[in-house]
This record gives sequence, structure tokens and C-alpha cells, in this order.
Amino acid sequence: MPHDVIMPALGMAQDTGILVSWLKRPGDAVVIGDALFEVETDKATMEVEAQHSGFLTNVDASEGAEVPVGRVIAVISETAEGAVAVQIEQNDGPPDGHAIIMPALGMAQDTGLLVNWLKQPGDIVGADEVLFEVETDKSTMEVLAGFDGFVAALLVQAGEEVPVGHDVAIISISKPSNPVQQSLSAAKQVRSKALQVVSASTELEESAALSKATASLPSARILASPKARRLAQERGLDLRYLEEAGHPQPFHVEDLAVLEELKRHTPMPASSMSIRRLTARVSSEQFSEFSEWAGTQLGNTKTGALIAGLAAGSFSQGQGDLVVAYHQFGTVQNFKNPQHFGLGNPVLEDLKTSPALLIYDLRHSPIISVENCLEGPPTVTLLSQDDDLTLTLECRTDQMSAEAAIYFLSEFAGRMKQPLRHLL
Amino acid sequence: MRQITLSTAVNEAIAEEMRRDETIFLIGEDVAEAGTPFKITSGLVEEFGTDRVIDTPISEPGFMGIAVGAAMTGSRPIVDLMFGDFIFLIMDQLCNQAAKTHYMSGGKLNVPLVLRTNMGATRRSAAQHSQSLHAIVAHIPGLKVAMPSSALEAKGLLKTAIRDNNPVVIFEDKLMYQDKAEVPEGELLIPFGVANVKREGADITLVGTSSMVQVAEKAAEILAAEGISAEVIDPRTIVPLDMDTINTSVRKTSRCIVIDEGHQSFGITSEIASRIMEQSFYYLDGPVVRMGAMDVPIPFSPALEDITVPTPERVVAVARRLMAGEMINAT
Repeated sequence: MPHDVIMPALGMAQDTGILVSWLKRPGDAVVIGDALFEVETDKATMEVEAQHSGFLTNVDASEGAEVPVGRVIAVISETAEGAVAVQIEQNDGPPDGHAIIMPALGMAQDTGLLVNWLKQPGDIVGADEVLFEVETDKSTMEVLAGFDGFVAALLVQAGEEVPVGHDVAIISISKPSNPVQQSLSAAKQVRSKALQVVSASTELEESAALSKATASLPSARILASPKARRLAQERGLDLRYLEEAGHPQPFHVEDLAVLEELKRHTPMPASSMSIRRLTARVSSEQFSEFSEWAGTQLGNTKTGALIAGLAAGSFSQGQGDLVVAYHQFGTVQNFKNPQHFGLGNPVLEDLKTSPALLIYDLRHSPIISVENCLEGPPTVTLLSQDDDLTLTLECRTDQMSAEAAIYFLSEFAGRMKQPLRHLL
Repeated sequence: MRQITLSTAVNEAIAEEMRRDETIFLIGEDVAEAGTPFKITSGLVEEFGTDRVIDTPISEPGFMGIAVGAAMTGSRPIVDLMFGDFIFLIMDQLCNQAAKTHYMSGGKLNVPLVLRTNMGATRRSAAQHSQSLHAIVAHIPGLKVAMPSSALEAKGLLKTAIRDNNPVVIFEDKLMYQDKAEVPEGELLIPFGVANVKREGADITLVGTSSMVQVAEKAAEILAAEGISAEVIDPRTIVPLDMDTINTSVRKTSRCIVIDEGHQSFGITSEIASRIMEQSFYYLDGPVVRMGAMDVPIPFSPALEDITVPTPERVVAVARRLMAGEMINAT
């Protein structure tokens, strides 16, 4: 079924947002999480993600337009053909004028009960005049019209519960020829009818879908105590997961336990997948002698091939060729199956081939420690200090299991400690 | 150990110091024959004579000016200001002269003067005799401010103040003059700038000054019955202020309420809360909450006066909300 895309409320006191640009074109396929459009508020410019997968259709707001919060600006449909429906809907649409929305009177308010209209369709209204009364869980408040003009349309009936940001009335500058009065449920049906053109499977679940979309939009700022925030950062926890789980804010240190539990049960997206980091240390004596000999006898190319070979011999990979990239002094070499060549001539692979393993040889650099140098495949960094050779393996948790990482690094370290034994 | 009242402790401190040092004299309204309205200096004129226990006319600027001049020229006056509210009458002598002389003379002149006065509401003395004005004094660089919370501190802090070579203002709570506490016989000096951890706790820190230390202690008892462990800290002097002890405690508990009887706005609670926020921000699991007297003239009506200043019950209510992780004062 089609889903409305609305202008989200990104701030507490936000009435409208400027649609800076569309990041998808009408008819484009979109997947949940895709950035759909950019919104500028008085505070910041933010990308708004798609809440549903489908095709972007019925785009009803142009770039640069200032759109009231809650206004439907597009539809995510099951098919790419939906553009026709826009006209149909627009022809049926409400009269022109300033849209008056259900205001957010409290911080945690999703809806407001429209208690009473104080103006009727066609009435003259002043900006300072009370247009309607709203009841929230806390109190009943009068809402001013905000614009001078005529009541062109009342889109909600007294007694209806209206989502925050939803249009409730339209005030026009000129006297409306045909002032409209309708109810929220009627408006839903009208729009649903229009959408049936787009998709045969349209159901009357619109209002539910709309309010859910509003509720699940991430708010701009997570409320958490400074200590909870610091500890979350130290422990590598992302407070957004707590927010998405609907855990009540503000978050305190106590809530981090819930977050840790949550993290254990929820697979994380690859981008924030945590990093494994293992460090091994062996005596560098034998390898130094060996590489010195290799350097003078065979040239530095050879040393790289030897190290790549020792690494590849420890690295268990399934079928196919194993390509190992070797970085030293700012140059890169890709070796193909270096484990098979011992002291013989290695086969160099095109640098465009993405390697399965990356080695940074920093033994002769002033660098003494590395952290998070991982950018692609599992990476081993070689550092030497005094008579010690330090091997640091970094990989994403989805690249190597803990077991595989431990096996690989201990094997590789063993080979580096006694290179000749493994080569001959 | 013997128990004595706060007024006896003050009397003892003055008498002991006057015996030790002949340059010390006591000056103020009704300090000699009458022994002050609170009977604190009774008996001193009999021992030290009218040359060293001096009754003055009702002219606060006059006797304060005399004392500042005397202090600059080798005497060590103890000034008795009958009510803390009268401090507005001596602001020039105190803040422009006494506080700045040491600095402006390049350290050549000292002003070893102690101003003893009082504070505190709920004595049905109405708006002009019930204020707690220590924050106004603490704001002026060059003045030290001590706030004893019991007879023990009253004696130990006063003796330290008398031996200080520059001005110290001591605020005693007038409702505590008859409160007894254990005070050892003989010499007792309590250093300035060293807070006293009155009660250890793990969940929340209650920083209280003067009589609010007792309010904090009572609140801590109620909270303990509910399983909330509160730590109570008495800074004893607010200038200098022992932030090390307060920070250590707040970093342990992550939560703090600062309680003081001065008006809440622009007061001591605000200063302490700000320093905690600056210095221990990343250890806080909730906002540091200030509790002071309401921002109104202290009412004469007993019913109204009693709710103007912080009470143990109100401290407990705020502590419960902090422990529950509620949003406080964030509307």
C-alpha cells in the first residue's frame, strides 16, 4: 500500500520546514533509510530518510518551498506510476490560503483534541482572534488564527483527535466562494480514493500509517544526562538504539544497561559494526637478520613478497586466488597467492584488484602505535621497537570471527618470529 | 564530651582569644551590659572591662568605620552587628574599605577584623530582620565568609577568624544560638576552606550551609529509610570554598542538591551549582538542583514564613525525583 511522505517536525518549536532539495526523483525506487530530501529549519539542514520502500510518486512540493509540518509532500507507492493521481487529488484539494496546523503545545504531545471551533467557514478572522480550542493531556488552550483573512476551510470537526502538525483550517486572503467544512476522517477518505488510482490495494489504514510515521521519526536531539552520554561513548554504545526502542527519555546511567541488553540482541548495521583489534608481540631478532639478508641479496620488493607470503600462509581463505596488499614507505604492491612462492619470484597483481588482506609495514617508520587504521579488508600493521616486533590485526567483526582472527594472528606472528623455518 | 550551646561556644571563643591577645576588642550595640539581644557576650564586660568591650550608639556605619581604622593601625576588633539585615548600613566600610585595603596598599596594611552577624528566618522577625545576606558579602573579593553549622564550628571557625590577618565575616543562624553540640574543652581551631563530610552516602550529595546542614541531615535520614543513600557536606566556609571535597562527592554520587537559606536567585546555591557543573559536568547523571529561600521578602506570617525556606521534606521530594531520573525544572 502507498505511504505518505510528510514534512517532519525536526524541532520543538518548528511550524514549517524549507524543502531544500529532493534527493530522489519522481518514479525513483527508494528503500527504507534512503535519504529522500533535505529540510532546512531555523537550526540546521537535515536529510530525511524514507520510512518505507517503494517508488517515489505524487511529489507535491517543489525545491525551495516552505512547507508546513505534517503536510504530505509525496507518496511512496508500490509502482512507479502515480503521477496521474496528483492532479486528481489536487483538483479535489482544499482551497488556497494559509494552512493552520494543530500546534504542539507540549513537549511529548503527538495529538491534540480539537474541542471547539470559534469561527465558521466563510467568517472574517483576524490574526489575533481565537480560531479554535485544543485539549491536550495537560490543559485546554485557545489557538489564535495567526493570519488575517477569511476562514476558507475547516478540515477537522470539533471533537476529533488531530495529529500534531496536521492541517486543521485554511485562511484565505479573499472571501472564499465556496467555504469548505469537512472532518478529519472524511479528508482521509477523499485522499484514499485518490490514491486508489495509484494502487488497487489501498486500504483505509492511512491515519494509522500517518501517525506511526510521525511517531517513529527520530527527533533532532536525544535527551541524556552528561554522565550517561560520556559512559555510552566510552563503552561504544549508541543512544539512538535506545531512542528507537522507545525507551523513555531522558536517559540516565541506569538506562545504559537496557541499551547493552538491546545491543546484544539487535544486529547492527555494517557501518557501525564494531572493530576487532588484536595485537601480537614477538622477538624481531630472527626476522631482522633475515630481512636484512633479503634486502641486500634480493631487494626490498622481495622483503614485501616474503612478508606477504608469511601472512598469506597463515590466512585461511576459501576457494580462489588470495591477493595481499603490502604497503611500505608509501608504495603499494599487490601480490597474488604469495604463499606459494617462498624465496622465488612473486606474481604481482593489478593494483585495481581489491586485496583480501592488507599489510602496513611500519617497522622503519617513527610510528609507535596504531588504532582504527581499518578502511577496507582486514589489516595487519607491523611495528618494531627495540628487539620487539608488534603485529596489530584490525578487522570488522563481520569480516573475521574472533576464532579466525586469533588463529590468523598467532600463526602469522609465529612465522614472523621464525621466518626461515616456514620458508624452507 | 560536654555539650554547650552555640552562643556559649561563641562566648568562649571570644573570651579565650581576648585573654590570649590584648589587642583584641569587642565593639557593637548592646554588647557590654546587655550582652546582645541573644545574650551571647554576657559576662565579657565583667572580665575585660569597658575599654575592650565597647557599647556604641545606634550607628552601624560609625562603629564599623572605627573598627576598620583600628584594624589598620594594630588592633584586632571583633564587630558585633546585631542583625545581618543591618549589613546594608555598613557596605562602604566593609566592602570599599576593609575588603580592599590590603590589596590597595600593596600588602603593607592588614585589616584583621572579624564581623560577627547573623542570618536565618522562621523567628517571626519579619522581612527586615530575617534575611540571609551572606551571598552579598561573598561576592566581594577580599572578604572571607564563614557559616558555622553547629556550636563546634561556631567556636573553631571564630577562633580561626580572629587570628586571620584580614577581614572575615561570620554568619551565625539566630535560631541555632540555643542548639547544643559536643565541643571539646580547650583550644579548637577549624581551618578555612576545608569542608566537612557530615554523612557518607553513595546515591546523592546534599550540600548544605549553616542550618541547612541540619535540614540536609534530616532529609538524608528520611531518604535512608527509603533505601537512598545521601552524602551530606558542610562547606563550613563559602569563601574560601572547598570544591575538592564537593567534586569528589558529586563524582561519586552523580547527583547533587545545594541547599542554602539565602534567596535562591543569584545566591550561594547558584555559585556552588555552577562550579559543580563546570568542574564535574561529565560525572553528572542529573541536573544540579538549587534550593534556597523563595525570592520574596521573608513573610511575617508564620504559616508563610515556614514554607519560604527549604525544609527536609522538600529536599526529600526533590531527591526522590532526581533518583527516579525525572526531568526537573526543565519545563
